Amino acid sequence: MIDTQLAALLSSGSFIIIGLYAAVFIDNIIKKIIGLSFIEEGANMFLIALAYRTDGVVPIFLPGMTPEWFASNSAYPLPHALVLTSIVIGASTLAVMLAIAMVLYRKHGSLSASVILGDKHE
Amino acid sequence: MIEYVVMIVGVLGSILALVQRDLLKAAILTGITGGCIAFLFQILLAPDVALTQAIVGAAIVPVFLAITIHKTKRVGEDD
Amino acid sequence: MNDLIPLMVIVPIIAAILLNLFIKYNTTIKILSFLVAIVLPIIPILSNYGLHYFGGHAPLMDNGTLLNSLPSYISDGPLSTFHIGITYSFESLQKILIFFLFVVGFLCIFTTIGERKRTPGSYMFLMLMGLAAVTAMLLSDDIFHMYIFFEIAVVAQVGIILASTDNQRYEIAMKYMILGSIGGPILLTGIGFLLGLVGSVNITDIVYVVRNGLVNANSPVFLFSFGLIFFGWLYSVGLPPFHTIKSAVYSKAVPSGSALLQALSVVIFISLGIAIFRIYSSVPFIGVFIIFFSLCGMILSLTMAIMENDFKRMIGFLAVGELGYIGLGFGLGTKLSLTAALFQGLNEMIITATLFIGFGVVLYMTKTSDITKLGGLIEKNPKIAIIVLLGGFAMAGVPPLNGFQSKLMLVQSALSDNFPELAVIMILISIVTFMTFIKAFHSVYLKPKPKNLVIENSDVPRSSVLVMVVLIAICIVLGVVPTLVTDGFSGFVGGLI
Repeated sequence: MIDTQLAALLSSGSFIIIGLYAAVFIDNIIKKIIGLSFIEEGANMFLIALAYRTDGVVPIFLPGMTPEWFASNSAYPLPHALVLTSIVIGASTLAVMLAIAMVLYRKHGSLSASVILGDKHE
Repeated sequence: MIEYVVMIVGVLGSILALVQRDLLKAAILTGITGGCIAFLFQILLAPDVALTQAIVGAAIVPVFLAITIHKTKRVGEDD
Repeated sequence: MNDLIPLMVIVPIIAAILLNLFIKYNTTIKILSFLVAIVLPIIPILSNYGLHYFGGHAPLMDNGTLLNSLPSYISDGPLSTFHIGITYSFESLQKILIFFLFVVGFLCIFTTIGERKRTPGSYMFLMLMGLAAVTAMLLSDDIFHMYIFFEIAVVAQVGIILASTDNQRYEIAMKYMILGSIGGPILLTGIGFLLGLVGSVNITDIVYVVRNGLVNANSPVFLFSFGLIFFGWLYSVGLPPFHTIKSAVYSKAVPSGSALLQALSVVIFISLGIAIFRIYSSVPFIGVFIIFFSLCGMILSLTMAIMENDFKRMIGFLAVGELGYIGLGFGLGTKLSLTAALFQGLNEMIITATLFIGFGVVLYMTKTSDITKLGGLIEKNPKIAIIVLLGGFAMAGVPPLNGFQSKLMLVQSALSDNFPELAVIMILISIVTFMTFIKAFHSVYLKPKPKNLVIENSDVPRSSVLVMVVLIAICIVLGVVPTLVTDGFSGFVGGLI
């Protein structure tokens, strides 16, 4: 059995790869955007998995813990703070992209990327 | 043990979301993946992040997607 | 007065939010954005060099009482030098670049107020947000903080594109967003690898750890993080394979917006470039990588610029091609070349702003950007023609304008670093740039006026002319007395190497 951290890193990698595949090869623009959100979530999960400590505790300093014990047993809290910001940023870029996709659908009447983003402007 | 199951469900959910023809189902499956990731954050000792991810990944993002699909069209073309 | 340092980011953000509140009141928006834009360049002049620790979280070294209370494995080890909170560092480079960035921002806002009867509040919001985001990137000593503000800058850039009236703006914005949503997380993953190696996202800490051999600088993880961050950098600055989308972005925005977009790109280029240069200076072949991509960018964008018939796209490609010069300076990596690269970046901000606004006047008058349909505009307004010509001279590097000084420094640094080939290529590219510019200039201003050309607005807004005169004046001043800024730049670079 592989340990939890490695499994989490592997699944975050697979999220990134699935998302990249969707963003590059799938034609439907909504699915492209879904794929992009998977890339974002994979990157977040990668950071959280880095901070994990096997048999560790949640990085909240509770009464009764000594600093030394806490320092050698808690997960690393810095990536958690980073990921909080990153999740919000990801959601807002997703919203902007969906709004643009709605305008594009109204203009072209299609959700296919090859129609919407075709080579007409080149 | 449960974390491995959740990971597999999350990855499978993401793949299933991308092969759906019905975009609304894809949006719901995205929510399932977001929820699985939130649960994994809880297991990976990040409960504060898990709260945010549960709200954003399992509720806000699928709702945004559903609104977009409602305003555009539900069934995607072949891909 | 170190307390002024965060104000450079806070003031534009607060102003942007206020503008969003008053979106219905036209006069309020005009007065408020004008006032803010005029106050902004004063802040970097008034504030002193130094560091600003957010929340007062200085490194443990500087906090004696706390340090003594900690166990010895922290107080004696490298951990005591680590920066705990977000740190802004304000040095000579930041002072000069932020001052000129805010000047360009002020001029763009001024042009917008002058050109339009109803000033769109949301557009002002986006411009100020973009300015705040890139200022934070330049000030920040924290690579994750840079990533956050980079994402904000991307959204602001997309908004500036959407504010134009071009037909294809939504398509270009969507493409830019999709590429950005791939580039952003990849940058984040690279930062994640660095974080996993070092345990800190502060650039000074990472440099300290790498220099002192606490992590293996040749380990595959370190090299992989370099690859990922380098990819994000390529996306953010529009070097190949992203040069096409970047120039399309420039050509779709309104002219004052394109001028600002180029300024934002230059600052993102410089701030991320310096971060990469500081962290990865030990990676073998890093210079070759940067030089290769910069050269590709210059050559590809120039060939595309020559073939274009649309002057907006042509200037867009020329602007992207000029960015390659900064990359060459970073790639050479000597003190002279880095100073020259920073100086070149500053010049590009000003020169391309002149050109975008100058050709924007043509677009305002004729409502077309196809050079085959234009001509003979020199009779209409010879003053603007002369200013645009001076801008072109500055871009191509004709003495005594500022472009000449920075390109001369770049060529000198290439020669003294035993790369005469690079010097020759730089001169050749500069000549071709000038040729392309003259082609556009000739067909817009000099060739006989086509019969079916209708001039819809013959009265040019005075604000645009004033802005161009100010920009050209800056060009001439920097060309005659380059030591005004190069002293500051070389002082900063001296601390870097």
